[in-house]
Amino acid sequence: MESYLYASSLREFLRGRRLFPWLLLALAGMLLAFVWHYLDRLSSDVDRYTAVSQMLVFHVLALSSAIFSTAIVSQEVEQKTIVYLLTRPVTRWKLLLARYIASATVVSVLGILGAFLVSFGIYQGHPFTNTLLWRDVMSLIFGAFAYGALFLMVSLLINRAMIVCLLFAFGWETIVPKMPGEMYRLSIYSHILAIADHPSTQSNNPLVNLITGTFSANTITPAGAYITLFAVTVILTALSAAWFTHFEYVPREDAE
Amino acid sequence: MILLDHASRWYGQVIGLNDVSAQIGPGLTALLGMNGAGKSTMLRMITGQLRPTTGNVTVFGMEPFANANVYRRIGYCPEIDNFYEHMTGRYFVYHLARLAEFSREEANRRTEEVLQTVGMAERANRKIAGYSKGMRQRIKLAQAMLHNPDVFLLDEPLNGLDPVGRHEYIQLLHSLALQGKIILVSSHILYEVEQMTSALLLLHRGRLLATGDLRVIRSFIDRHPHQIRIETPEPRRAAGLLAGLDNVVSLSFAPGGEALQLEVRDPNSFYDALTSLSLEHALPIHGLSSPDNNLESVFRYLVEA
Repeated sequence: MESYLYASSLREFLRGRRLFPWLLLALAGMLLAFVWHYLDRLSSDVDRYTAVSQMLVFHVLALSSAIFSTAIVSQEVEQKTIVYLLTRPVTRWKLLLARYIASATVVSVLGILGAFLVSFGIYQGHPFTNTLLWRDVMSLIFGAFAYGALFLMVSLLINRAMIVCLLFAFGWETIVPKMPGEMYRLSIYSHILAIADHPSTQSNNPLVNLITGTFSANTITPAGAYITLFAVTVILTALSAAWFTHFEYVPREDAE
Repeated sequence: MILLDHASRWYGQVIGLNDVSAQIGPGLTALLGMNGAGKSTMLRMITGQLRPTTGNVTVFGMEPFANANVYRRIGYCPEIDNFYEHMTGRYFVYHLARLAEFSREEANRRTEEVLQTVGMAERANRKIAGYSKGMRQRIKLAQAMLHNPDVFLLDEPLNGLDPVGRHEYIQLLHSLALQGKIILVSSHILYEVEQMTSALLLLHRGRLLATGDLRVIRSFIDRHPHQIRIETPEPRRAAGLLAGLDNVVSLSFAPGGEALQLEVRDPNSFYDALTSLSLEHALPIHGLSSPDNNLESVFRYLVEA
């Protein structure tokens, strides 16, 4: 039963219409990487890869996670198809967990594909010569599961969760890592970058940092980032499972 | 057995179901009420999608909320017309069969069986997005019956079915009822319910107005005289004789003559008296009908009361 729950959820998330924009974006990343290689000949491959992957893979991870994670429950509620799932002899937490893992799997695979294609473009057809790639794979997997757990929790707590999740992805995750002091520790993105351990983009010139919005160096260690993201994932997923088990999920507009 | 014990359900300040107590056993029972009466709320409480705010709801002695043991025994056909539109009807039913804990082979076998039963086997490979309302209702019924449940909870299942489909659907429900299944069908269309069953639960604004057999319920409504139409070739003589009876409230001649319209209390004793009068005075009676002895009248009387 559990394997069917996971497989059917995976099939649902892998539908062509859902995947198409993300595949297009990954290909765009590869194209940009090719172009970048010729436009910025002074930088090293590592710097070029860092710039493009952070812009088109790591930042987009939160966005794709927001979209896929809200499909786990709140989209079912909005489409009113949740009734078919909740009136089956399936334990609610198992249903939620299977759908969450499937969603995070798809987001991870899309992120890894994006990183691979950017690497392919920057390294001119030899992506595996990129020494950053394997660390990026791990950081993208941990990031996808952590973002997924957070957005899942949000989608269980509030209606129209997509707006809040997108605000978090584009607002919080863009601004907080660049804020002065230790504020960046409150962002998942900072922890993902800590695992990826890319070369620092911080300049010695404070004016340049002001312009680029880079105020503080990321001092989170990879081990610390792994532990934090794992803890966030486990705690939020457990809370979501408990919440989903005990509360009602009936489309509101249907309530008489 | 489904049991509601002083069950109430509030949505914030709005009451969905108000202190309802009822017991629903094997056979076909209709849940009747206007839109917003609380029918869907009641069905959602029985199917464990909602918890009662106060009181209790049990199915075979178990609380239904998120209870897999209850879901193994109930088949629910929701009122909503929402599906996974990209799926074919066959895959939709198969998918729900797998979620009902059946193996791949068993799920396939049951899917074919129920699709055949609801008359959708030939059309089930089309995507649900292209289905008519009637086809959607059949697919909903198919997913409700694929695990051969003891209880069927059907929310407005006849909506959108053509007359032939309706007839087939009702026949199917009757055959399930004969197998000893508990079937609760909600509807706001009175004549549909009359065709299905005389056992009913009548809801209005969240309250259970009446429960039991339609004819018994009707007999309790003493505030409202029963209408009776008597067809006779001698309406004036009949009127003279009947006017003397205590339980005749009013009497008028039907347009076109040869018929009398009466309002009477205690119709059973009136029918006894009418038989005696007819025999004693050789009064010919060609027809006798009770135009308000139907569900619509019962419903109107109870709601107005």
